[in-house]
Order: sequence, then C-alpha cells, then structure tokens
Amino acid sequence: MRPRAMTKAALAVCGACSLASCVAHPVGPARTYSTYEGKAVTSATAAQSSVATVQLVASTAAAGKAFGPYTVVSVSEQEEGLSAVEGTFASIQPPDRRADALRDELGAILTSAVDHIAEVRIAARRGDLDDLDRVAAPLRADAAALDAFVARHG
Amino acid sequence: MKRFFAVFLGILTAIGGFVDIGDLVANSQTGARFGMNLAWAVVLGVIGIVVYAEMCGRVAAVAGRPVFDLVRERLGPRAGLANLIASFFINFLTLTAEVAGVAIALSLASSVSYLLLIPFVAFLVWLVIWRMPFETMERVFGLLGLCLLVFAVTVWKVGPDWGGLFHTASHPQVPAGETGFTYVYFAIALFGAAMTPYEVFFFSSGAVEEHWTERDLATNRANVLIGFPLGGLLSLAIMASADLILGPAGIDVGQLSQVALPVASVLGRVGLAVVLVGLFAATFGAALETALSAGYIISQYMGWMWGKYVRPRQASRFHLVVLLSIGAAMIFGLTRVDPVKVTEYSIVLSAAALPLTYFPILVIANDPSYMGDKTNGRFLNAIASIYLVILIVVSIITIPLLIITKGGSG
Repeated sequence: MRPRAMTKAALAVCGACSLASCVAHPVGPARTYSTYEGKAVTSATAAQSSVATVQLVASTAAAGKAFGPYTVVSVSEQEEGLSAVEGTFASIQPPDRRADALRDELGAILTSAVDHIAEVRIAARRGDLDDLDRVAAPLRADAAALDAFVARHG
Repeated sequence: MKRFFAVFLGILTAIGGFVDIGDLVANSQTGARFGMNLAWAVVLGVIGIVVYAEMCGRVAAVAGRPVFDLVRERLGPRAGLANLIASFFINFLTLTAEVAGVAIALSLASSVSYLLLIPFVAFLVWLVIWRMPFETMERVFGLLGLCLLVFAVTVWKVGPDWGGLFHTASHPQVPAGETGFTYVYFAIALFGAAMTPYEVFFFSSGAVEEHWTERDLATNRANVLIGFPLGGLLSLAIMASADLILGPAGIDVGQLSQVALPVASVLGRVGLAVVLVGLFAATFGAALETALSAGYIISQYMGWMWGKYVRPRQASRFHLVVLLSIGAAMIFGLTRVDPVKVTEYSIVLSAAALPLTYFPILVIANDPSYMGDKTNGRFLNAIASIYLVILIVVSIITIPLLIITKGGSG
C-alpha cells in the first residue's frame, strides 16, 4: 500500500471506529419473530446481569461490607443501565402478534425489575444500608422471571 | 545498597503501574464470562510486552532515542504519519477512558456524579504533569497502584480450588453459551490490553527523560523481566476474583464499580477502600502516561523539543499538545460516552494497530549503527519474530471480529 493510501486508510478506520465507539446500544430492525425473540433474549440477559449485580451489592452493603457512596453509585448505574435496556427493547417494532405478546411479557418483567432497583437505590440514598437485603428481596422474583424467560426463548 | 533499592523500587513501580483501565475491564469481563479459560491470552500478552519493552528500553538507553523518533526515521514521513494518526487516535481513546476511570473511582468514594468530576480530574492530570517531577510522578502512582494487590488477597481469602483454577487455565476451552468468535475476540482484547502501544511510547520516552545510559540496562531488565510478569499475575488475580465471585452470580461486567465488587463482598470496607485507592492510582497513572504519550509521539514525529526534562519554555509545543489532548479527552468524556465501551474499543483497536508500533522497534533493535554491540541475540529475535507474526494475524482479524461479534456482545 502506498503511504498516501495508508494515511487515508488510517483516517477512515479512525473515523469509523470513533462513530462505532459512540454507539453504546445499536438497535437494528426486527423483521421476523425469531429476530425479535433473539433481541428480547439479549435484553433479558443484560437485565439478568443488572439484577444480579444489585442483589450482590445489596447483600454486601447489608453485611456492612460496603460504603454508602459505593453502594449508591453501583445501584444507580445498574438502574440507569436497565432503564436503557428497557427503553431500547421497547423501541423495537414487534413484527407480528406473537411478538406483541413477547413484548408485553418481557416489558412487564423489565418494568418490575427497574422499579425494584429504584427502591434499593432510594433506600441506599437514605442510608438504610442495613435494611438493603430486605428491600432487595423482590429482585429474587425478577431474577427468577428473567431466568425462566431466557430458558423459554433462548 | 542504594542501587539495589532503586532497582527494587523500579520493580514495585512496574508492578503497580502495569494495570490500567483496559486491564481492569478486560480481565474482569473475561473472568466473569469465561472463567480462567482466557488466562493464556494474558500470559501471551505479558511475554510480548516483556520482549518488546525490553527492546525499547535498550534502544532508548543505548541510542538515546525513543520509539516514535525512530518510527518516523525508519518508515519515512508519510508512512510515519499514518502510524502517527492511528497511534494518536487510539491513545486519545485510552486517555478519555482513563480520565473517565479516575472520575468514576472518585465518584464511587464520594457519590458525586462522575461527569461533574471529569473537569476536575482533567485539571488535576494537567497540574501533575506540569508541576511534578517525572520520576516522582512515576513512583507515586506506580506504588499506589500496588493497592490492587488486594485482588490477590481476595482470591486467597475465597480459598478456591487452586487445582481447578489452574486446570481451567491450562486446559482452556470455549465455555457453553459462548461462540468461538467471542472467545477469540476477548482473547484479542486481553492481548491488546497487555500490549497497548502507549506503554512502549511512555516506557522509551521515560527512559530518555530519566537519562538512561548503558549503565541502566540492568535496571531496564529488572523492571521488565520481574516487574511486568508480576504485573501480569495481578491481572490474573483480577480475572480470578471475577471468575470466583461475579461469574457464579451471573454478572456481566459493564461498569468499573463491578470490577471492585468481588473485593468488597469478600474483604469488606477495608478491602473496598484499598481497591478504590488502587483504581484511582491505576487510572490516574495511566492518564498521565497517555497524556504525556500524546505529546511525545507528536513532538517526536515533528522533531520538536519534548519532555519534562527540558524547561517548559523550550518544549512549549509539547506541553500544548498535552494540554489540548487532555482538554479534548475531557470534552469527549463529558458527552456521556460509555467509558467502559471506550475502553473496550481502545484496547481492541490497539490490537489492530500493534504491528505499526512493534515492527520498527524490532528493526532498530537489530541495527548495529544504532545499537553497537547491544543488538538482539538470536533467541530474542526468534521470539520477537514469532510475536510479530502473531501481531500481524491479530491486526488482520480484529476488525472483522469486532463486527461479527458486535463488539463482543454475541
């Protein structure tokens, strides 16, 4: 490759990559049920991680092993991340009626998980770290629902 | 005794300074997702950086010239410019990730939004570069980075099945639920994190800043041959802690706070405090290195005066580039771009650009007109050549894998 072509190639790669790096959650269209189902499973898997993180942070804080600021920031990040997943999934157009049902099913689980994580965040901000295990208890049902969803559709 | 102490301090600094946000994220992510099945990629990367950093240090000590100075001379101005653009871009992404990483570490200790802290961190990075002597700067943050040894303590405290961990590491396989593509993609991420080009830019320029001569070759070898492998063990400890705590909980690492979670859950508040200091030191030290590297590579390419060893007035353009790079990284960080994503892309793109950095080093380390009788031996050349082939293969497959795996997500 000639030096000028190399410079152009380097510039092109840099430009493409800078654009790519700015896009955290690319959303592609779902034209078939199976594509939509695949996207739903991806969303559910991301949600599983957020819910599991908050559960571990909550139990760690309740055991007196984490500071308030660390707990608050960690839970807030997961809440923000899960809200983004929920928003991204909601923005995907369901291709047919079966997909509508799938959308309702996962949407309900994600909304419930976001609400429960918000409760943990509120309790952590109030300094109720000792009580965080109890506040986070409903997340167990969310985690189970997400596991079942992924098992059914994954 | 004084000499021994200096070498010992250099080794400790090398260990503490080995890990940056790329290593933290990549090792924690892969540990949680692949267990110890990708430990070999860390080992491969550490051997690579040992081989080439030793060459860089030797070239700087013997020829008195840093890497990028020689890259331009060897490749010519045009090919050197292509190299400069790619290297500067990747270095800029890394600088952004490190600045954001420092802000996140401070945020985890204070609960102030990391976005509010980014301008403060950027100012602090510039101030330290402007005011603090080079050696003090390197030592302070390198030694504070040793706080990350708390990951090793965490693994020891968990009391894992050591045989099982070693067996997984020595008999790697693609875990269920993962594809061969994602496995190789994350192997490249680990490899890229260990062999990030800015490390050799900084290492060789630092050698010139510290006026290394042939008398310092022993220090160079000790830092590289002892310090870097021990730093690699630290990387493996981060991976193992994620494997033991985050993996079984089904946690996929997407935030820096999750990297610290295994330590908090096992060692409690003291461990958490220590790991947060370690995260701060590792990211702050790397922010200094990448900001300086931005100034080094541009100044060395353009033939300007550079470095902290000359008065700022003499190296005004070098300091301007450093200042502008920090400012640009601050602005990019403030756009709410995901710091972990930026880290992931920076280490993967580093992997794609590795031959551009390492090939000229190998050529120069074999040139008697620069090196006199200190050229590479046959054994070193054999290893370095094998690595060059690996680097070329990695650079060819990285971008296709980035696209196929959608950045490692599936």
